[in-house]
Amino acid sequence: MSFDARNISIAFGGLKVLKDVSVSVRSGVITGLVGPNGAGKTTLFNCLTGVAHPQEGTVRIDNADISSFPLHQRIQLGVSRTFQTPRLDLDASVLDAVMMGFYSRNKPSLLGGFVASRGRQAREKALREQAERLIAQFELTSDPYQRSSALSLGRLRLLEVARALASAPKFLLLDEPAAGIDEHDRALLGRAIRLAAADRIGVLLVEHNVGFVAELSHHMVALVRGQIVAEGNPQSVVQDEQVMTAYLGGHRVAA
Amino acid sequence: MNSAYKWIGSVGVLVLAIAWVSVLAEFQRSIYSTSTTVGIFALLALPLGLLYGQGGTVSLAQGAFAAIGAYTTAIISTRFNLSPMLSLLPAVVLPALIAFVIAKPILRLPELSLALVTLSIGTVVEVALQRGGDFTGSFNGINGIPTLPFVGNSRIRAHFVIWTVVVVLVIAYVNYMSSLRGRALNAVRTDHLLAEAMGVNVALDLSLLFAITAGVAGLGGWFYAHTLGYVAPDSLSIAVSANVLFMVVVGGRKSVLGPIIGALIFTVASDFLPGTESQGIFFGGILILVLLFSPDGLMTLVPRRWRQRVAASPKPLAVTQAVQTTGAAR
Repeated sequence: MSFDARNISIAFGGLKVLKDVSVSVRSGVITGLVGPNGAGKTTLFNCLTGVAHPQEGTVRIDNADISSFPLHQRIQLGVSRTFQTPRLDLDASVLDAVMMGFYSRNKPSLLGGFVASRGRQAREKALREQAERLIAQFELTSDPYQRSSALSLGRLRLLEVARALASAPKFLLLDEPAAGIDEHDRALLGRAIRLAAADRIGVLLVEHNVGFVAELSHHMVALVRGQIVAEGNPQSVVQDEQVMTAYLGGHRVAA
Repeated sequence: MNSAYKWIGSVGVLVLAIAWVSVLAEFQRSIYSTSTTVGIFALLALPLGLLYGQGGTVSLAQGAFAAIGAYTTAIISTRFNLSPMLSLLPAVVLPALIAFVIAKPILRLPELSLALVTLSIGTVVEVALQRGGDFTGSFNGINGIPTLPFVGNSRIRAHFVIWTVVVVLVIAYVNYMSSLRGRALNAVRTDHLLAEAMGVNVALDLSLLFAITAGVAGLGGWFYAHTLGYVAPDSLSIAVSANVLFMVVVGGRKSVLGPIIGALIFTVASDFLPGTESQGIFFGGILILVLLFSPDGLMTLVPRRWRQRVAASPKPLAVTQAVQTTGAAR
């Protein structure tokens, strides 16, 4: 299966943020998207998830055009995303936050919501156990009933990834998941991403940190000023002249 | 062990309170009518508690939707001589339908704009009822609305019927909030984008909930019309909408029993305080005090141990005990 953005162009006012960009996320493959600040990474991410709508180009899942679908509908189709700034109810418990991830695949009908049948209770119990396993896997907290506000920023990012995985996605889109997290949490995150790919989930990893992406991804795409300047295996992209120039600030110093 | 039915706590408290009031009322008959009024207000406030407290979406149109329900049943049962039971369905469905139709464009507005827009729905309804000519009875309203077959003129039955309905709604509320849909509603309150990213169709779900809120208000209006026997444009006016929001905020918008406590405080205080001025001072004062010292309403003053965590997953007893015995690290 593949999730593709094809020939995406988008401008905000007169500012062209993306120019004819194509990227594809395939089952079981970790695609890394790197680029300096302002390259358009998050905009591309938003076009894929339906938060932004490109002026040109299409977004497709297995060739079916989903360009006009809003975010919630794409989620129902098996796309799952995290946010650059974690978004969650800090007053709710960690367990509640992870449980929220189950919504897209397990929501009861409107009327079913008002009736707590035995079947529903059994299903909810199973989901709670599954959520507790995810909390343990990501070492989020020893007390699942702890309020999310007690967690560090790194743990909140991992919590978002755990929540995204709870929806049993076909495609997992991570927006800078490793920003501001320590070595240990980064290793947990890396392991989880590899496991997801091994489970045939297609992963798109948008990151500022080139090292982390190069280490994890199978395929790497470099975006500079709204255009793809290099793509292919991580080694070649990292060594690409334009990518290096972009990261070193415009002028190349003799190496 | 986890209790299979999460509503047992709230419903237990409520049923005990109803039983206690019923015993008191045997000595002082007027308590029955006060209690029925509280029940009708609770019917308006409870769904608003769900919409506003859990979903973060305010509405100042509960009085207007109740008025639509009350007038619908009044017109059908007096003009066409149909049984009140036949007009029950239209009295609930009409306000729900109107709410659903107007919901989509307005529910994305920020809180203050939404409050103003829903308030103006109340103005439109009130003016329409006043200028409705013979159809709505203009300023005089409609008299001679028949009583309900299973209630008649009995204040005692009215009291028990309305509170049975409230208990059923409390169960439905708690069930809803303990389902994944309840979590989705809390996510909508936190952040619409977060909810969308979890696959929640925010616009549709809020519209449906807004319609349910209005439909239950319509049910309250239906009951009101058939127990009082008359409706007038100012019986379920804009002031009622504002008062219902007051009940939700003062009682506790995030708790299921909060709106009911609010309805109780409001009704009892209105009965005891003579003039509108003294009522205004009292309610204004209470509102300021609550917002300053207990922003989530009076229900948050109840010790945490007794309060039911409606929205969240309740802690299994073992964990609660463990936390208590270790003295809770937080």
